[in-house]
Amino acid sequence: MPIDLVFFLRVLIFPGFVFLLAFSLFCDWFERKIRARMQNRMGPSYTGPAGLLQPIADYIKLLTKEDIIPAQATRLLFTVAPVLAVSLFVFTFYYIPIDGLNIIPNSSFEGDLILVLVLITIAEFTMFLSGWSSTNPYSGIGATRVLTQFLGYDIPLIVFAIGPAFLSGSLSISTIARKQTVPFVALTPWTFILFIITLQAELGKDPFDIPHAETEIVAGYVTEFSGRRLAFIEIAKDIQVVLGATLVTVLFLGGPYGPVLFGSSAVWYTFWFIVKVLAVIFLLEYVGSVAARLRIDQVVRANWRWMMPISLLVLALTIVCQPLLSPLVG
Amino acid sequence: MTNRLRLPTMIREIASSLLKRPFTRKYPKVKVDVPEGFRGRHILYPEKCISCGLCERDCPANAIELVETADKRLPVFHLDLCIFCFQCADSCPRNAIEPSTLFEMASTKKEELISKPKVLILSHKNVLKEDDKNDV
Amino acid sequence: MTTVKEAVRLLEDKLGNKVMECKTPEPRRTYVLIKSGYHRDAISLLLETLSETGISTITGTDLGNEIELNYHIRCRGSVITIKNRVPKEKPQIMTITDLIPGATLYEREVFDLLGVIFEGHPHLERLVLSDDWPEGSYPLRKDWDPTVLEEDAPNLRGQPSVMNGGDVEGATSPVVNVVMGPQHPALHEPERFSFKIDGEVVVDVEPRLGYVHRGIEKAAERLMFFQDVYLIERICGICNAAHALCFSQAVESIGNIEIPSRARYLRTIIHELNRIHSHLLLLGVTGFELGYETLFQYVWRDREPVLDVMEMITGNRILTDFITIGGVRRDLKPETHEKIKKPMKKLKKRMKFYKNIFEEDPTLRLRTKGVGILKPSSAKKMCVVGPVARGSGISLDIRRDDAYAAYDEIPFNVITYKDCDSWARLMVRVEEVVESIDIINYALDHLPSGPYRVKVPRRQPEGESVSRVEAPRGELLHYVKSDGSAYPYRVKVRSPTLANIISFREIIRGSYIADIPAALISLDPCFSCTDRMSFVEVNNGRKWHWSLEDIKRLKKRS
Repeated sequence: MPIDLVFFLRVLIFPGFVFLLAFSLFCDWFERKIRARMQNRMGPSYTGPAGLLQPIADYIKLLTKEDIIPAQATRLLFTVAPVLAVSLFVFTFYYIPIDGLNIIPNSSFEGDLILVLVLITIAEFTMFLSGWSSTNPYSGIGATRVLTQFLGYDIPLIVFAIGPAFLSGSLSISTIARKQTVPFVALTPWTFILFIITLQAELGKDPFDIPHAETEIVAGYVTEFSGRRLAFIEIAKDIQVVLGATLVTVLFLGGPYGPVLFGSSAVWYTFWFIVKVLAVIFLLEYVGSVAARLRIDQVVRANWRWMMPISLLVLALTIVCQPLLSPLVG
Repeated sequence: MTNRLRLPTMIREIASSLLKRPFTRKYPKVKVDVPEGFRGRHILYPEKCISCGLCERDCPANAIELVETADKRLPVFHLDLCIFCFQCADSCPRNAIEPSTLFEMASTKKEELISKPKVLILSHKNVLKEDDKNDV
Repeated sequence: MTTVKEAVRLLEDKLGNKVMECKTPEPRRTYVLIKSGYHRDAISLLLETLSETGISTITGTDLGNEIELNYHIRCRGSVITIKNRVPKEKPQIMTITDLIPGATLYEREVFDLLGVIFEGHPHLERLVLSDDWPEGSYPLRKDWDPTVLEEDAPNLRGQPSVMNGGDVEGATSPVVNVVMGPQHPALHEPERFSFKIDGEVVVDVEPRLGYVHRGIEKAAERLMFFQDVYLIERICGICNAAHALCFSQAVESIGNIEIPSRARYLRTIIHELNRIHSHLLLLGVTGFELGYETLFQYVWRDREPVLDVMEMITGNRILTDFITIGGVRRDLKPETHEKIKKPMKKLKKRMKFYKNIFEEDPTLRLRTKGVGILKPSSAKKMCVVGPVARGSGISLDIRRDDAYAAYDEIPFNVITYKDCDSWARLMVRVEEVVESIDIINYALDHLPSGPYRVKVPRRQPEGESVSRVEAPRGELLHYVKSDGSAYPYRVKVRSPTLANIISFREIIRGSYIADIPAALISLDPCFSCTDRMSFVEVNNGRKWHWSLEDIKRLKKRS
């Protein structure tokens, strides 16, 4: 890996850190606008053209607020956990081919799918730690609920993710994306639907909204955060959503690869990437708007009694169908 | 209890909402049409007033005060106390008080919340301006 | 089935000379004055002879040397008031909570505000006043001096009546005390609930009311009758027409004022519009509590036309100021009939959609079905009212039983559901909206012509009256006593939420923590109606002196 100007530009600006942040903020705006339109109201409209600057305005506001640490909180963890969450999520992006190549070129390897899934788990764990270190009963309840829900649904998520890996015969994200001449959503639609539902639980969106259920536990694990630290946690949550949508894109929708009509392929790949991620976010919001929030015991029961066995069944089905589908795989 | 969400009614409803215009009224860019009879700011007809003081006596919130002006005693309305019930309009034997449809009465200065007679005459003609609010 | 008349005669026979006075000034209202100490016999006799009896409230009035306690017992459409007087120097009386468990909170309220001790009460503590209110100072007594609060209030950061954790029989692990409120995103008004939790299961709950207590009953004695209508209306923003209607009816029956027919119909229309608005508000809030934001936004969007109609009729969206003593304050022009009917028709179609949602949607059913069960027997013992009672199959509706306004001439159905859970209570409200739309259409079609208001003298003759209406949340009761002047001697308001909050304990025992919002919201608690007094802000040791000066300054006008 030659370390030179291009490398730095790629890592820091595009498609690296700055692009990722800007894209997450854009997706936040998109999510809020779509949710508002589904509820027949306006959504962000006044800050910037069509409200595009609303997320930035929110973060700037958070940065100007006082940063309070509760007297009994574990200082180190309280400070470090949000930053760690953001860093891990951003780092995970470095294995996704956004413009056709990974951010650090030629850094993909067999098994980076596993690495990505593991990193997501660890990052979520740091979010739990941030709630746990607040020593507030509401944060504590919220943190334990996050963990229960997340760890529970992580298992079916990984099992579903193996489906596309199996179909393409590789555990490297770039390879999985490249082999989708026919997107896997058409080959294994059942895996796609179930993956979306499990992703809702991972991301803590309705109907698995319990970690953010403000009517029961105030603000859940973010109760004690304010100012800068809250900004970090919010950014972490936004990037998490984009990461989830990106995972769906690369596993089922063919990643950034799509028709290149003219000019540079990198530009077109980025374009297709953005379009597909936005489409997935739209779908996630739709599913979220249609349902109320389930109770924690219902969530847990739904996972262990239904999702787990179904995931294994679906994996078995994919394995069985794989020889039939292999001609369609690129 | 299954994870499959089969909600045809709501799914269709959300889809149709996406295609509709938002229900939100873009106030203050868009003027809000207030129906006639809305209980907004008070209008006083000073030529009809006979200074009987019934409005002051009957106000449940003690928000009316009769003050001396050039010709006679006229009521002054304290908008920070007023509950906009318009019992004063009901009590007035000469129908000298009426509600108008002006509702944009919020202010950052306490003096502006005292509705003095000249202001009431101007509001009656619907020409209330920013600097008129402090005149007697 | 024994009628009320027969029961009262039986009472007179059985108790003989202990009954000092018995009068029936108007149909369905009986006032029986019993010798001091024999109220228990009277009440237990009534409970035995009449079925479907419950207590509406207990009013305490300071008569100078004595404190009069009125036990308002309701039976089907009638109210029998058992009066009992205790001397002021030694205000003690036996409790009736063993006969009627639903009287617990009412006795606590009288104890709090008037200082009457109820012997044998299981939990006689403050209900509405704050915990650091000075002892021995009873605001509703006529000789109460507000200046007693000008001294520094004791800076009591003291333990309010919270049940500490510790061991509870049958718990599998040490019981934890979780306090919800007074500020909590799930509550719309401040209220404190102390839950005793065993794992994820609620073992017991202790509600503490009084955070929005504003002194309305006392303030009402300082305003004239017609001014009081505005004050009473502002007890609650959501059911304001019901309060104004109830009070006006009470004063009209004291003064023997007959209101024109047109006024009765117009009152009905506004009353029903209020009901629609309140139920839609609750359904939206339910959606919000359960995490169903989409439902919340849709319901509140569909509620907007109702508020627009109210604005067109009365001049304001929420505080209508429409109903007054002697009729209504404005007339309804014939052109507006169409403008009312069109949005109502649209709303009726939308209600079909919402009914569908509530019946079909799996996540809603998961959250509300089987949650917060209130068995009919407990409901009757606790004397709950309104949709809470109707959701448990008890058919209790003042509009039908004790008809007021124009309800004796308008046909409508009383909706009951037998499921006894939160879902049933919500479905009752959904269908009641449709019924209300039908009532409004009928009233508009049959609106009689004529005057809409009669002139009413400022002074009212001596007398007392109990008036009831079916507010959106249940039975609302006003008791007004007049001493012949232009100011009422006593105004008592008992809002439906106070009657229903007692049942919260029954409902939540044995449920999960996560079911608390779903159960609580199905009761439709409106704490503005429930708490009603206090000009004091003595928390944080802030000097009362300042506030009193401020009020004095505001009172001085010329």
